[in-house]
Amino acid sequence: MKKAWFKWAALSVPALIAAGCATFPDQATTRQIAEKMVSESYSAPTPALLKRLVQDKSQQICSKIGDAKLTQEEAAEVVKLARASIQYPESGQLVGDWKVGDKLAHDGAGDRIQFGRLEKRKENGGLCQNCHALAPGEINVGNVGPSLTGYGLQRGNSEAVAKLTYERIYNGWAYAPCSNMPRLGATGHLTPEQITHVVAYLIDPASPVNKK
Amino acid sequence: MAEPMKIRATLQGDVADVRILMSHPMETGQRKNDKGEIVPLHFIQSVVVTHNGKTVLDAQWSQAVSRNPFLGLRVKGAKAGDKISVTWVDNKGDKRTDEATVAAAS
Amino acid sequence: MPRTRSGITAFAVACLTICGTVLAQGKPDDGLAVGRQMLAEDNPGDLWIDRGEKLFYEKRGPKKASLEKCDFGLGPGKLEGATAQLPRYFPDTGQVQDLESRLLTCMVELQGFKREDIVKRAISPAGSSGSDVEALAIYISSRSNGMKMNVSLSHQKEYDMYKAGEYLFYRRSGQTDFACIQCHGEANKRIRLQDLVHMTDKKQIQEVVSSWPAYRGAHFVVRTMQWRLYDCFWQMRLPELNYTSDASIALTTYLHYQGNGAVIRVPGFKR
Repeated sequence: MKKAWFKWAALSVPALIAAGCATFPDQATTRQIAEKMVSESYSAPTPALLKRLVQDKSQQICSKIGDAKLTQEEAAEVVKLARASIQYPESGQLVGDWKVGDKLAHDGAGDRIQFGRLEKRKENGGLCQNCHALAPGEINVGNVGPSLTGYGLQRGNSEAVAKLTYERIYNGWAYAPCSNMPRLGATGHLTPEQITHVVAYLIDPASPVNKK
Repeated sequence: MAEPMKIRATLQGDVADVRILMSHPMETGQRKNDKGEIVPLHFIQSVVVTHNGKTVLDAQWSQAVSRNPFLGLRVKGAKAGDKISVTWVDNKGDKRTDEATVAAAS
Repeated sequence: MPRTRSGITAFAVACLTICGTVLAQGKPDDGLAVGRQMLAEDNPGDLWIDRGEKLFYEKRGPKKASLEKCDFGLGPGKLEGATAQLPRYFPDTGQVQDLESRLLTCMVELQGFKREDIVKRAISPAGSSGSDVEALAIYISSRSNGMKMNVSLSHQKEYDMYKAGEYLFYRRSGQTDFACIQCHGEANKRIRLQDLVHMTDKKQIQEVVSSWPAYRGAHFVVRTMQWRLYDCFWQMRLPELNYTSDASIALTTYLHYQGNGAVIRVPGFKR
């Protein structure tokens, strides 16, 4: 199957090969070649899980190669799609329990696929500690994202701050299109309820994040 | 059959810098396998290093030493061509002996 | 009582030289760098190189043949510099192949092993004594130690692979919205305490391509580039990358080409 595809690809650029002039494929051809690879190079226990590789519109826009820049129109579109995606918890309460959020923020496990099996737990970890500094004094924290130490101290814990924080976790691309931050709520990695607990962990004055 | 060690012995002045890599699981007896069963205790209990037949190091190890252990030592009064021999015995009675020749400094 | 004065001096000088060399490698108070240097000097991965050498020349498989006739691109049995020019196009298979893919081809064609069987055992369980593939991969790589990574693009499929690899490097997907660039696109970044390689930096990508296969301390076995790519996709909550799949070879081609000029030095040592 692999060999047949390569023969097909070879036939479709006969002029170049005949002329002995190999060259970088253009953007469209590259995309075609690579997307075919994606569809053939991975395995998952179910077809639904295989769909994790399918890009949504925003991911496609945000997959800029090298120094390619996001245009104004593209940024606006990503923001628009992100805003539209935001869903709030049924209760309408955006601030949950910081103790639950604390556990979530330090939990980096859940939902990974290995040896033909899905790592299914009751709920996914928040992964926050992997990239962000959290409570002061913790050493084992990443720096891919900005430090969240003192988050609530700096911003307070008003309704407005709660809403902003909730939305930035649910889908941060509504504020920073194509940022490195995963759209944890929009992609379904975390539930709205889980996000409210993380919000509490960040803004509750009693939370370790806001200890001096 | 126990896996061979990798021994390097290089002369620095009249001191042989000896470096030994051993291949051994060094199970602590506390680790659980995929099925949740305890992996039994299996570790190197004694290590003896000789220089031209004379014992220069005699060690008793415990399961605290990690898997695929490395042992480094310096042997005074060595000359190029001298024989370094290393023997380990583990708690299951398995043993392994390997030899190396002290090489001149390059 | 030391034998001679010159003996003591030699010993002291030797000590200072060794310590001096070790300390010079890292920043003034970078204790971790000293530790890494010590681990690099006496790497258990060396034991795998010896095993791989034995396996390479042993008559194995249903065809009871060694791998001496395997062509890694420089002619049958020529191992010096072989991994330095991989991945590359091979006319006999009509494909661009990396080290492990080519090894698979030879184990199947020359030795008669079944492809599925090799793939199943290629990546060994952590804490095991390792697979034959891992040992062979590191032995073959070690035969390029001291040589510079030199991947060239001349066949159209090599150009295609390179561009596809670049595309994949930046391709965001899944519930984490991650592509490689999210974690490997900036300097001085780390996930928890694990330093992240800045892969768009020439020096750091050179460091990466020159140090695989590597002994993975936490797994107690030698790991290969195929494993490393697989593990990244695992962590990104994406489906399992198939062993020696096109996507894996595309990414390897892209990364190795970016790392051209790197001096190969295996086994590497990873946490």
